[in-house]
Amino acid sequence: MIEIHVPGFFQRVFSIFLRHQKCYCKHLFSNGFPPFVEPIVFLAAIGIGLGRHIDNIAGMKYSQFVASGLVASTAMFTATFELTYGTYVRMEFENIYDSILSTPISIFDAFLGEILWAGAKGFFFSSAVLLVISLLGFVNSPFCVFAPFIGGATAVIYGALALIITSWVKDINTFNFYITGCCTPMFFLSGIILPINELPIIFQKISYFIPLTHSVNIIRSLLLGSFSYSVFYDIIFLAVFMPLCVSLAILCIKKRLIV
Amino acid sequence: MAQIVIKAKNLSKSYNGFNSVNGIDFEVESSQCFGFLGPNGAGKTTTMKMIYCLSPITEGELKIYDMTPEKCAAKIKSIIGVVPQDNNLDPQLTVGENLVIYARFFGLPPNLYKPRIKELISFMELDKKMDSPIRELSGGMKRRLVILRALLHNPRILILDEPTTGLDPQVRHLIWEKLRELKSSGVTMLLTTHYLEEASQLCDQLVIMDKGRILMAGNPHKLVAEHLSKYVMELSLNGNLCADQFRFDRPKCYTEVYGSRCYVYSDSEQFLSLTAEEFNLESKLIRNSTLEDLFLKLTGRGLSQ
Repeated sequence: MIEIHVPGFFQRVFSIFLRHQKCYCKHLFSNGFPPFVEPIVFLAAIGIGLGRHIDNIAGMKYSQFVASGLVASTAMFTATFELTYGTYVRMEFENIYDSILSTPISIFDAFLGEILWAGAKGFFFSSAVLLVISLLGFVNSPFCVFAPFIGGATAVIYGALALIITSWVKDINTFNFYITGCCTPMFFLSGIILPINELPIIFQKISYFIPLTHSVNIIRSLLLGSFSYSVFYDIIFLAVFMPLCVSLAILCIKKRLIV
Repeated sequence: MAQIVIKAKNLSKSYNGFNSVNGIDFEVESSQCFGFLGPNGAGKTTTMKMIYCLSPITEGELKIYDMTPEKCAAKIKSIIGVVPQDNNLDPQLTVGENLVIYARFFGLPPNLYKPRIKELISFMELDKKMDSPIRELSGGMKRRLVILRALLHNPRILILDEPTTGLDPQVRHLIWEKLRELKSSGVTMLLTTHYLEEASQLCDQLVIMDKGRILMAGNPHKLVAEHLSKYVMELSLNGNLCADQFRFDRPKCYTEVYGSRCYVYSDSEQFLSLTAEEFNLESKLIRNSTLEDLFLKLTGRGLSQ
């Protein structure tokens, strides 16, 4: 019998993570530009501009209310783009997965690494937004240092959801339906722009099933340092939803790639 | 006796009810170059994908060093180097980065992959391109890089899926030279190709496939000797000439007609020359019959798709 060296599970997953990190960091300045500049633009346009016409909302300034939500939404968007357009291009145009899957890396390793990379990107993007809004004076509590971890978890969930969509689309333009038709409404229904309890009752019910709503609640509590019991349920929701989404996503992409 | 490295028995693959590979049997010995020949759609690439565990088998048995793809995919993939049909290099990375990232997929530590990359990059004569982006490489360089990449982890089996398709003759000969060197170093090679010359030059054994089945198997030179006459005369048919004239009363020869081309096979070169003189043929070519003639005889000269 011949002697064979097979890399361990963590080594395999981490090698995929490193591949994505290497590609991302090659253009760090241009890739790192959006999370720092976007919140400034957004807060200037919506928070500060519109905020002048709105008094306090949920017990805080409107710009502060919006700012705390942006820490979560940036993670959602970065993970969504990474595992829709990014994955599709790697899969259909660059054939990267064919080369990866002809090594000891399995489909599970490859896409777990990919989802974790989306999580890391979410962590980084949330941190950048957090830094910007801290400098603008919108953060009250030292618990804010935990916010990027919730950003990372949000990105893992949205990365997995995006991968489910990617496993199904046959044409890159189909992503428009998901991004404009699902992600944008989720952004508006998750309590970033308007408190959930001010939404029509049907939307309040829908918002409870949106993972971003729970991320926004947790992050807002961390940034303000005021916690209610509902945060506990938010954490449970994310903790249950995350492994379900990740498993389903890997199952779906396996069905597409392994024929 | 040489060790059997790959053994396939009644190997089959079907997608959506279409049988891409239809019950094939073959055995590959270690340090051998084993060829898979066949027209497009014959099932060659699918067979390769089943061997490197990318495509699950539908039916039959496949063993690589006594391991099955269902149970030991990671182990099998650790000892196989794959040169796929398309150059699936990472376009976002440079040549060197591509190699480092790929080496990490095999779990190679830097103290192993660094000297290995250095050694292989000069073996493939790509030393000066280490820091170049992939888009700046020519087609031949990309191909050499893909072969180099497949060798990083010192594979025992090298799968070459049409390694020289679309390359100019210089590069093709350079790659053949490198592959011969690899073969003499003991690497078992599986080669699919459309270039019959490539198969004659490199393969010790081959199978000719069509529509998912093996039509013929054996050593390329022996196959030609066994199944074809030694010489062939190629000529164009025109108004004054009719193929039946050759078929008539000439037991020593075998004639094939495709469109306006006629191929007359015989074991006697002299007989073909005399026939050419008799019919006053000017635009004729008498040559040794080749694997290509056998291939076309088996798989047909017309397009099947």
